This record gives sequence, C-alpha cells and structure tokens, in this order.
Amino acid sequence: MAWYLIGAIFLAGVWGLIALPNLIKKVVALNIANSAIILFFIYFGSLSGDTAPIMGDGAGTPVDPLPQALMLTAIVVGVCVVALALGLVYRLYTRYGTLDIREIERKVWKRDE
Amino acid sequence: MSSVVLLVVLPFAGAMIALVGKLVRAEPVLSVISTVPLLGMGALLVMQFPAVLDGAAFTYSLGGWPEPAGIALTLDGFGWLSSVLVVLISTMVVFASFSSRRYRSTYFFVLMLLVAGMQVVVLTEDIFTMFVGFEIVAISAYVLIAFDRTDEGLLASLKYLLLSSMGILFFLFGVFLLYRDFGTLSLRIMAEDSATTPMAEMTSVHLAVAALCVGIGVRTAFMPFHTWLPEAHAYAPHPVSALLSGVLIKISFFAMLRIIAVFRATYLSDLLLWIGAATAFLAVVWALAQRDAKRLLAYHSISQMGYVLAAFGATSALSLTAAFSHAMHHALFKSLLFLVAGAAVQMSGARDLYLIRPIGRRAPLLAFGFVVGALSIAGVPPFNGFASKQLITSALDHHPAYALLWITAVGTTASFIKVSRIVLPRRPAGPALQITKLMTGLRSAHRVPVSEPASAGVMIHIPVVVLGLLCLATGVFARPVSLLLASLLSPTGLGAFTTTSAAGDPAIPATFLSGAKLLGALPVLLLGVLLYAGTTTVPGTRLARRIERIMPELRTILLFFVFGLALFAAAAYR
Repeated sequence: MAWYLIGAIFLAGVWGLIALPNLIKKVVALNIANSAIILFFIYFGSLSGDTAPIMGDGAGTPVDPLPQALMLTAIVVGVCVVALALGLVYRLYTRYGTLDIREIERKVWKRDE
Repeated sequence: MSSVVLLVVLPFAGAMIALVGKLVRAEPVLSVISTVPLLGMGALLVMQFPAVLDGAAFTYSLGGWPEPAGIALTLDGFGWLSSVLVVLISTMVVFASFSSRRYRSTYFFVLMLLVAGMQVVVLTEDIFTMFVGFEIVAISAYVLIAFDRTDEGLLASLKYLLLSSMGILFFLFGVFLLYRDFGTLSLRIMAEDSATTPMAEMTSVHLAVAALCVGIGVRTAFMPFHTWLPEAHAYAPHPVSALLSGVLIKISFFAMLRIIAVFRATYLSDLLLWIGAATAFLAVVWALAQRDAKRLLAYHSISQMGYVLAAFGATSALSLTAAFSHAMHHALFKSLLFLVAGAAVQMSGARDLYLIRPIGRRAPLLAFGFVVGALSIAGVPPFNGFASKQLITSALDHHPAYALLWITAVGTTASFIKVSRIVLPRRPAGPALQITKLMTGLRSAHRVPVSEPASAGVMIHIPVVVLGLLCLATGVFARPVSLLLASLLSPTGLGAFTTTSAAGDPAIPATFLSGAKLLGALPVLLLGVLLYAGTTTVPGTRLARRIERIMPELRTILLFFVFGLALFAAAAYR
C-alpha cells in the first residue's frame, strides 16, 4: 500500500512539472517528486529493522543506515537545485512581470510581434 | 595521497582558491591561481600513462572504507581517457576565459566545480556518488549558462534545470531499484553479480537500466531529450559553450556507456543505433536551417553525438573504439569551432550569420583555426573528423541506418559552407550579395540578440592554435591514435557490451588515407556544395525559415521526455 502511495506522490510531482504553467508551481512540483524518491529509499530502509541505527544495548534489529545516509545527501542536493531554480524564476519575474512560462517564452523570443 | 583521489580533490581545491579570492579582494591573481590545479591534474595523468597503458587500474577507497559500503574511485584506461579529455578542454577554455575581463572569481569558482563534478562522474565506482557528481556538474552548468544574465541565458538555464532535474529524479529512482536488488551501490560488485545471474531473473534491473539511461540521456542530449541543448549551448558565455559542447555531453555519454556495459544491456543496442542515426539526421536538418551562428553549432553537437551513439549501438568489434574516437575528435573540433564563433560574435556584436562581420582579415589566425575545425567536422581528409567517420563506417558495416549517417555528412558539409561566411570576406557583388540582402531583410523566427562589439582578446589564440594542431595531428596519425584508444579501452570491461569480446582484435583499418577512401569522401563534399546551393535559392530559404520557426515550448519538451522514457522501457521489456 505504502509503495503505491509513494508512487502516486511521485506521479503527482511529475504531472505538476509538465502540466502547470506557473513557474513557482513547477519548482514545487519538482520538490514533491524529489521527496517521493527520498520516501522510496527511506521506506525501503525502514523495512529492514525496527530501531534507529545507533550503537545501543543491542535490543531489536537496527535498520540499514545506508539509505538514510544517502538521502541526507539527496535532500541537500535537492535544496540546492530548488534554491537555484527559484533564483532564476525570480530574475525572470523581475524582468517580465509574470510567472507564466508560456508568456515568458513568448516575450523572450518575441514570437507574437 | 593516491594520485586517483588527487584528480578529484585538486579541482575542488581550485574552486576554493577562487572563492578565497572573492573574500580577500584579490580576484585577478587568485582567479589565475585557481586554475593551476588543472596543470597538476595534467601532470598526474601523464605520470600514470605508462601504467594505465599496461592495463593497470588504480583504485582508492575514500576514507579507507572497503567497497560494499564505502566509495571507490578507479583510474583505468577509460577513466584516464575521460580525465584527459576533461583536463585538456578545460585548460583550453580557461585560456579563452582569460581573454575577457568579465570572468572573475565567481566564474572560475563555478568552472572549477564543474571540472570537479565531471572528474567525480568519470572516476567513481559508486552509482550514488555518480548521481552526486552529475548534480555538481548540473548546478555549475546552470549557473554558467545564466552567467551573463541575458534574458535568453536565464530562460535556457531554467529550461535545462527543469528538464535535467526531472531526468535525474528518474536516475535516482534507478539507483533505488538497483540498491533494492543488489544491496550495494558499487558498479564493480553489481557487474560481478549480474554476470552470474541470468538476465531473465532480473526484470526490475531492466527498468532500473532504462531509468538510468533516460536520466543520463537528458544530459547527453540525444533525441527525444535534445531540446534544451541548442538554447543552453547557444546563449551560454562563449568559453562555456565550448566546455559544455566539448566535454559535458561526452562525460554523460561515457557514464551511460559504463552503465550499459555493467548490466550487459545488449537489448538496448538496436534502440541506441536507430536513435543515434535519427538524432544525427534530424539535428543536421535543423542545423542547416539556423541563422544564429552558435545555435547552428549547438545543433551540430547533437548531430555528432548521434554519430557516436549509432557507432556504439552497432556492437561490432570496432564500435567502442569508433564511438570513443569520434567523441574525442568531436570534443577537439567542436570546442575549437565554438571558441572561434564566440570570438567572431564578440568582435561584431551580432550573432546572426548574415550580420557577423567576417573575421578573416582582422584575425587571420582565428579564421584559420575555424577553417580547420570546419574541415574536421565536415569529414575532409586528412583532418580528424575524416578518420573517426572512417571508423564509424567500418563499425556500422553496411547497416541500413548508415544511409542516414551518410546523408548527415552531406548536410554537415553544406551547413559548414554556410557558416564559413563568418570567417571568409564576403564578395562585394553578385548573386551572393542579393541573397544576403534578402536574408537580412527577412524577419528571423526568433529574436537574434545583439551586443556591443568588443575585442576578442589575445589569449584566445592559444587554445585555437593548440586545438587546431590537435585536430590535424589526430587526423594524420589516425591509426596510432585509434590503436592507442583500443588498447586503453579493451582491458576495462567496457568491451563486454560488444558482440566480439574484448580479447578479439578490434580490426583497425591499416590505413586511413588510401586513394579509394579519399575518392569516397568526394561525393559527400560535392553533394554538400549542391545542398548548400539549394538552401540559398528562394524555396530553399523559405523551407529553412519554416524549419527554424519550429521551436518546442517547455511543456512539449517535457512531454518528449516522457515519450523517451516509454521508448526505453519498451525496449527493456520487449
């Protein structure tokens, strides 16, 4: 069940990235899809044990720590990409006064003249 | 410290030096110093050359952690070749960047990060580290494309960001599937495991390989993932265009090649072959229709990567050598062409082919370099494009897709006759002038940006001369060069993908410049001239302008991506 839910989150993100014309919404959709991939790793990792992978008294099986370590990196990378994307969107917005990608594209190439 | 890890750490150190330059306000000096690590990397690579040629592979485990959990870096023949490509072209680009005052600490910081990211991608054995390397490369590339803060640059950068982030999500999904099935992230261990397990038992691995190929495919820019490239490469700052077209797309292609070889995904070969041929052909049609000089060159990058992909997909004894040699040669001549075209654009302040003032008289050396590059890409003997196209011809061996590549060669010749007007002084009168007037009067499909004319600088001559000489040298000594490539690549396990095993001699042709082969190049050249004449007629011009007008919107680009994903998944589960 959880797998399907995560898959649905991922597809929702991809759909938003393709279908929504608003650039901020596109960036947020990218973030959602990214979170879904992170959830894939974390959920898979959580199935391998039942306690945190910290050196303890040995009660319970600790989970596989590798997916968590990997996802820390992936989250950091994702934050960088989103920050840069929002920076670019902001620049475009200050120049064109709109967040609609179709309108920005038209204005950059001056196709409707 | 091992030399392998130094190849990754040195460029990071360079980036840090540039950053310090920004902090202590010593930008010019520290910008120059920040690029010195490139020399160190070059020296290391030269030192390792004899051992690598003997088939040695240096491995370094980061932090001393052994492999199932730790991260290993490996320098073998493949890693050596890719690193040489990165270091050589980056050094050339750094020289070209010195010729302009605009590029200071921030620029060199991002540039060195890009180099470091590429080194991570080519040297790592760990697929998650490869993802991180790809993201370092991507983020620096986004920044560099938008570096001049022009409207087109910002939009191109954002488009590239959205598309390639979507691609990298699928890559990460592929990494997840592999980790789930193999319980490791090391490509070496995965290769050993998948060699013992029959392919039929690994159905989800097919999906993983398809997802990885799609994720990397966006960076390699073959059809249907190519749509971001013309804008990103055309509106980036001029030296950056040379670096992106010269190295970046090759590095991602090499990564894809490695992944396909690790999982012995031979079922992808037909798809790659046909995608490559179609990419080469369609991109050259678009290239022929362009009038923005750098956009035209960018379309040629897509087209030539199509050649590389088709050669690799042929899976014959020669295909790996042919693909590598064309990728290497393309890196040399395309960086050369982009640097000179960039200089020409800068000197005349216009990007439109029909408005650029020819640089032939003002900068004869640059013009000469451009002619060398153009002859190379058009496949004229004895330059290197001719040699690697010979290899591709033998690798494809009368495959039906070769016809498309042959037509592409004609189109390439024609479009480089068209570009030659940026170097050759224009004839003052005659029909050529009328056509020029006609073309200048016509409204372009999209706004072609203009800027203030400026000097191209002195430093740009160094990379142009070096790259021009290399184009000639690798063409004249084609046989020793390709034998060297073959002997570097054969022990690395990449040959596992080709049908004849690595042990078989990749029958390199005994001579590249025989009379019959020279005659074989002749019809392509003649037809190319004819095709160019065809595009200068009125119907030809109209058709070209109609093609130029087709510019996919962002949404279409993303839908193309989904289409490509379906294509790869279908090939995997056929």
